[in-house]
Amino acid sequence: MGRLIVVACGAGINTSTLGEDMIRERLEAEGKTDVMVKRVLMADIDKYEGEMDIMVSMMKVYREFKCPIVKGLPFLIGTRDEQKEVLDHIIRLLDEMDNQ
Amino acid sequence: MKIDETIIAFDVEATSNEELISLLADKLCAAGYVDETYGQATITRETIHPTGLPTKPFPIAIPHADADGVITSALAFASMKRPVMFCNMVEPEEELPVELVFMIANNTPEEQVKVLRKLATLFGDPEKLVELKALAHSKSIMDWFEVELAHES
Repeated sequence: MGRLIVVACGAGINTSTLGEDMIRERLEAEGKTDVMVKRVLMADIDKYEGEMDIMVSMMKVYREFKCPIVKGLPFLIGTRDEQKEVLDHIIRLLDEMDNQ
Repeated sequence: MKIDETIIAFDVEATSNEELISLLADKLCAAGYVDETYGQATITRETIHPTGLPTKPFPIAIPHADADGVITSALAFASMKRPVMFCNMVEPEEELPVELVFMIANNTPEEQVKVLRKLATLFGDPEKLVELKALAHSKSIMDWFEVELAHES
């Protein structure tokens, strides 16, 4: 079933683009073609509550959301292994959702 | 993403991140990459969404605003004589003594994604950051970026 991953950052243009690209690349490799990835401004995040299945944040998140929140900082400053860990975590979350 | 010697600064002294951002914004503006609004937009955004990063072996910062005010996507750079304080992107209450500043002006995110990924690879590599910090001429910094950010053909 179609899922939505939202990648949030302050300006919605640099760090979220990075995260979006790395997540898309991994989803393609996994053959998960029904998962959408969208970058958004943190200021607009409330609009996606309820619609998003996973939120990846490049910055601090100040409240709870209905969906899991994944910390995206390794996309920006992490090693390849640290980035892979975050991507593995996202894939695991998607698989768990599909198995529910 | 444009980078040229006129938007590279080294041994920079600034008492605050506002001062440093203004300095780089003036260079970006003089080179025609951004308009006069971009510096203030970046300073304002820095107070709301700080961009200090806890990289190793020393922190860096990536101040930027959104695409408004950007004419041509570009990367301005400053290597500090003494660290300048930026708040941490993920822990905004924490101040980080920043040694290197990468000020990004981006209005073409899809086109810049390869460069952004190369920058991220550098940010995750302590040896590269030390190497960059040791460079003391804008020409050598420029040459370094050209090699490190070069597109694979």
